[in-house]
Amino acid sequence: MSNGEVAPNNTIHINNLNEKIKLDELKKTLKSIFQQFGNILEVLAFKTLKHKGQAWVVFEDVSSATNVLRQMQDFPLHDKPMRLQYAKTKSDVIAKADGTFFPREKRRKHDERVQKENGLVGSKSVSPKRAKALAKDLYAPASLDLPKLKKRKKSEEAANSSRKTRAMVSKKPTEKKGKSRDGPKRRVYYKKVVYDGGEFDVGDDVYVKRREGANSDNDDPEVEECFFCFKSGRNLMIECDDCLGGFHLKCLRPPLKEIPDGDWICEFCEARKEGKKADLPEPPKGKKRRRTAREKLLSSDLWAVHIESLWKEPDGSYWFRGRWYVIPEETAVGRQPHNLRRELYRTNDFADIEMESILRHCSVMNCKEFSEANNEGDDVFLCEYEYDIQRQSFKRLADIDNEEEDDKEAVKDEDWESCSDSISDPEENLKSARKKLNFSASGQSSGHGFAANAQGGKFFGLHKIGTKKILEHVKGHRQTEIEKAKATLLLATLPKSPPCRNKEMEEIIEFVKGAVSNGQCRGHCLYIHGVPGTGKTMSVLAAMRNLRSEVDAGRISPYCFVEINGLKLASPENIYRVIYEKLSGHRVSWKKALSLLNEKFSDDNKVRNSQPCVLLIDELDLLVTRNQSVLYNILDWPTKPHSKLVVIGIANTMDLPEKLLPRISSRMGIQRLCFSPYTYQQLREIISSRIEGIEAFDKQAIEFASRKVAAISGDARRALEICRRAAEIADYKIKKSSSTPDFSSSGKNHIGMAEVEAAIQEMFQAPHIQMIKSCSKLSKIFLVALVHELYKSGMGETTFEKVIHKRSLPLAANVFSLCGSNKEEFPGYDTLLKIGCKLGECRIIICEAGARHRLQKLQLNFPSDDVAFALKDCSELPWLTKYL
Amino acid sequence: MELSKAAEKALILLRSRICNPNFVFSALSDKPDSNYSKLKFLLSSSVTESCNNSVLLLGPRGCGKIPVLELVLQDLQSEHPETVSVVRLNGILHSDDNYALKEIARQLCLEHDLEFSKMASSDDNSQFMIAMLQKCGLDHRTLIFVLDEFDLFTQGKQRLLYCLLDAMQSVMSQAVVVGSSCRLDADQLLEKRVRSRFSHRKLLFLPPSKEDIQILLEHILSLPADSNFPHDYVVEFNEKIRSILGDQRCKAILTKLSDADSSVNNLLSFLFRSICNMDIKESRFLSTKNFETASKSIHQQPKRESLQDCSILEHYILVCMKRLETKEQNSYNFNSVMKEYKVIHDAFPIYVTHYERDRCLMAFEHLEQHGLISFEDVRGQNPSVQFRSVKLLVSSHQLQESLNANSSSIPGKIRTLLMS
Repeated sequence: MSNGEVAPNNTIHINNLNEKIKLDELKKTLKSIFQQFGNILEVLAFKTLKHKGQAWVVFEDVSSATNVLRQMQDFPLHDKPMRLQYAKTKSDVIAKADGTFFPREKRRKHDERVQKENGLVGSKSVSPKRAKALAKDLYAPASLDLPKLKKRKKSEEAANSSRKTRAMVSKKPTEKKGKSRDGPKRRVYYKKVVYDGGEFDVGDDVYVKRREGANSDNDDPEVEECFFCFKSGRNLMIECDDCLGGFHLKCLRPPLKEIPDGDWICEFCEARKEGKKADLPEPPKGKKRRRTAREKLLSSDLWAVHIESLWKEPDGSYWFRGRWYVIPEETAVGRQPHNLRRELYRTNDFADIEMESILRHCSVMNCKEFSEANNEGDDVFLCEYEYDIQRQSFKRLADIDNEEEDDKEAVKDEDWESCSDSISDPEENLKSARKKLNFSASGQSSGHGFAANAQGGKFFGLHKIGTKKILEHVKGHRQTEIEKAKATLLLATLPKSPPCRNKEMEEIIEFVKGAVSNGQCRGHCLYIHGVPGTGKTMSVLAAMRNLRSEVDAGRISPYCFVEINGLKLASPENIYRVIYEKLSGHRVSWKKALSLLNEKFSDDNKVRNSQPCVLLIDELDLLVTRNQSVLYNILDWPTKPHSKLVVIGIANTMDLPEKLLPRISSRMGIQRLCFSPYTYQQLREIISSRIEGIEAFDKQAIEFASRKVAAISGDARRALEICRRAAEIADYKIKKSSSTPDFSSSGKNHIGMAEVEAAIQEMFQAPHIQMIKSCSKLSKIFLVALVHELYKSGMGETTFEKVIHKRSLPLAANVFSLCGSNKEEFPGYDTLLKIGCKLGECRIIICEAGARHRLQKLQLNFPSDDVAFALKDCSELPWLTKYL
Repeated sequence: MELSKAAEKALILLRSRICNPNFVFSALSDKPDSNYSKLKFLLSSSVTESCNNSVLLLGPRGCGKIPVLELVLQDLQSEHPETVSVVRLNGILHSDDNYALKEIARQLCLEHDLEFSKMASSDDNSQFMIAMLQKCGLDHRTLIFVLDEFDLFTQGKQRLLYCLLDAMQSVMSQAVVVGSSCRLDADQLLEKRVRSRFSHRKLLFLPPSKEDIQILLEHILSLPADSNFPHDYVVEFNEKIRSILGDQRCKAILTKLSDADSSVNNLLSFLFRSICNMDIKESRFLSTKNFETASKSIHQQPKRESLQDCSILEHYILVCMKRLETKEQNSYNFNSVMKEYKVIHDAFPIYVTHYERDRCLMAFEHLEQHGLISFEDVRGQNPSVQFRSVKLLVSSHQLQESLNANSSSIPGKIRTLLMS
């Protein structure tokens, strides 16, 4: 399976490139590296999933390409050795020069396909007969063929039986493995295999043959035919969003000039929707409608698999471990109305499959990639959820990229052979654990062996959670402008880099870079302070992300990064435990952890070959204990020679170092970074950068909100929340008015000053004025008596009944006189006491406990002017005004 | 016979209605601008749009913060089955962060059929909570945390609130924190960094207005037409209710009630008393008289009554204490009171009967138990009652009143003594 078959040509195909490098950068570096060999016509690289980690370099003449191939093979670029070979296709540039150029069609790769077909037919190492037999043997039960069973029980059975067959599939190789362990030969694991002329990487998605007879090799069109003329041709085609049929633009009635924006539905589907019967045009005689692989997959004649690992058995056959995809029809709930035509679910079911049964590549993308991909060929699918076959439940896929990157990182350093055993084993462990869990749940209550909330950080049984059905409201819901605004204003939706904090970010990056790259890093400690909501943590994290990419690019040496939040620790001492766990992965008690960490950071020999460590401690002030030993220890480590520890502390107070013991402040307070509150211009920029492209907000409204927040706190979270609340208020109004038909005309769809004003009112104002306005009559008199007394005596505090001061009346007497002079009935002392306690409960007044009775001290909690304002024109008791 | 049975059944129905806050507050929920519809919109939009939110429900006790929330939650659970799970905490029980985290873990385990371990450390529990938040976010399942008595969660370092609100800052999670408090300044109690993460939605629950009270009364008291009561009985019953509610006397009673305390709870307890006074055997209908007796019982003045029940000796002791206070003697104990008692006894041996010291001590302790006087130092059980300094908790006005009421047994001279 080497790369010798391709004839030498001008174009070099490179793969195993680092995928995290940006395209432009990659192109530049490639160009600079290869320029020494000859004139470069073009460097091609794509960001699509299929072409990740690959590039093509086109040279002017073949000899320089050959030179490159000879000299640069396995040259490490950005930490990864690149693999070179001659390209299989002529590049457009060369073709143009040759005169053999023709424009590429939308959604297809003609040449590649031809090659692949050739490969499939021609260069098979195993005889096709055997392959088919194998495929039949493995997949004949095909129990997932009963997708639309309404009875749940039955479909469960089907799933069970399918599991069996798949389990059988996966058993075979494990037996083999057992044998091979004794013998000299072992499985050899690869990251990439070139098989039948196609390259298969770990992480690729492929079609897998399912049944014999359903397709044969010569009937595998990758190019769709037009529904009208039954030719594929080179003309532009358009796809119906409903039935996925392809149409030539010119064959349509009336013909279209260009592809329209948005959804487009073909005339047949439209007719079907209206209830008419639409006959598809009959194919010309002798020509059968050919089905593409995509159609076959969606009608469950093919399967799609995600390659998890690849290996060669001792007998020379190639196998891979795959994770199945299912189409919506194959799930327990069947196809739901919100499912897109090209939607698949990833399952948690694995199987070992021989490479023989691979048909070819397809690409399964997440939502974002899918929406961006429009020129990707026919084999593009969308996958947003994971489907649990055992429990028949769905789970949203988390950010797959992040997880997988981490996995790769972990695996990269180790030898692939060594981790071969661990790949299959955890799954089995998990299965047995699950069985046990089920057993214990059904039987008597077990010990705490499998409790969900305690298992040393590993939680049992969380995989059980999953919705049985993806609800319609989640998907297929078209957002209005205001809803979009609400979504982008959410605090959770983080921007890529925090706006308006460039200077601070640079400073952090400089600091960490200096600390990490400097071999003798000593006493590096940065104290960051600023009021809440000024983007401290976010900036640090963004800076670390930037640095991470630089580490990946190989510009700085790798380091480890530990993030700790002081408020999330049960006690300050626990920080040792957390740090140690993050550095080593072991859980020990904090005392043990402390001694181990001390050892680690002070012992020269141990530290010298380890990576530097960046420790971020959020809410640093929470670590202050009585004797401040925790802070001292943590800040003392960086000063040790060769400790390679960098501490970044974040807190709100500016003078935290000054409040601490001198020996700590001398270690911490040297380098500081202040995040000042945002000014209104910055807040405005933050808000408007978020809602860019959404026509929902008035300019003035944003201005108003940002000025208001800047005047009070300069907290970006507040500003965003105000805007979101304003959007919510507007949305509420619209939805309410649309439910009552009389106001449907006044559907103004943007957020103006009024809404922002309301949101600000709600956020910043205590609701006591409203409360005072609507409280009971006697409470009002009570409050007026308090205010009256305050005006008269000038003393804020009064007692319920006891006379302290000669000149001032106690409250009860005051109320008594008020009632008497205004012909109101005096309620009695006990009732009055109760009213006072009620007001005290709401904290309109501050009072002592009611048991003190006569001696109870009372005081207004709000300025007396607020009471005066609230009760100024009270219709119930007009006489109150003269006492205010 | 049949009628009295119907009356009994009606009584049972009314009682069960009054004790069911969900029924009571459903009457006020269908107004467009009510707290119910606002809260419903807020919660359901955070369920459907999968966003995080935090809301505070503020208002005095007995105005239906929690019942309205429960109504909304019920609706949500029926509208979006399996996508809403609720965790309920109460500040009185769970103000300790570790207990609160444990309780959250317990409820989450219960809800999702997971095994729960009592032995888990609080670190484990908090990690479990964050993991659950993420998992539920992946399922489009919204977790709703209901924190009753929200102000009590703000004691201490506010670790729980910080953890909850900080976990809600990530895209994956999908949770709503609903706090309910009777303190209007509850959000000011939050620490700065916690407050900054709180999204500051506030809903104010006010006591019902006069019109609302009228609606509530009709909603609660009138019998349903389509029930298994005899038709004539229902018609007559509702007719009576309408006439009672329109009655001037009844209106006066209701205004007096709402003048003191206009919360719904107060109204309900008043209604419960009046319904219990309903005569099943004879009239079989509610009458204005029922309302009057209920009004009397609800406007009781417990202190005045217990004062009036005091014995003559106890009155003597109170009068002595009062005299000491007017002499501006700020601190006094049993012994000094006895000295004063001796002084008045010596001055007016005819009017003031002499009692033994032991007797007096008993009376003194009795007064303390009734809460008419109290010891000044609360801490520590000082064994000798006689030396602890005491305070009078009754005003001279009330004492005067009670002496007047007991004029038959207490000679008029004593009353004048009080003034001197």
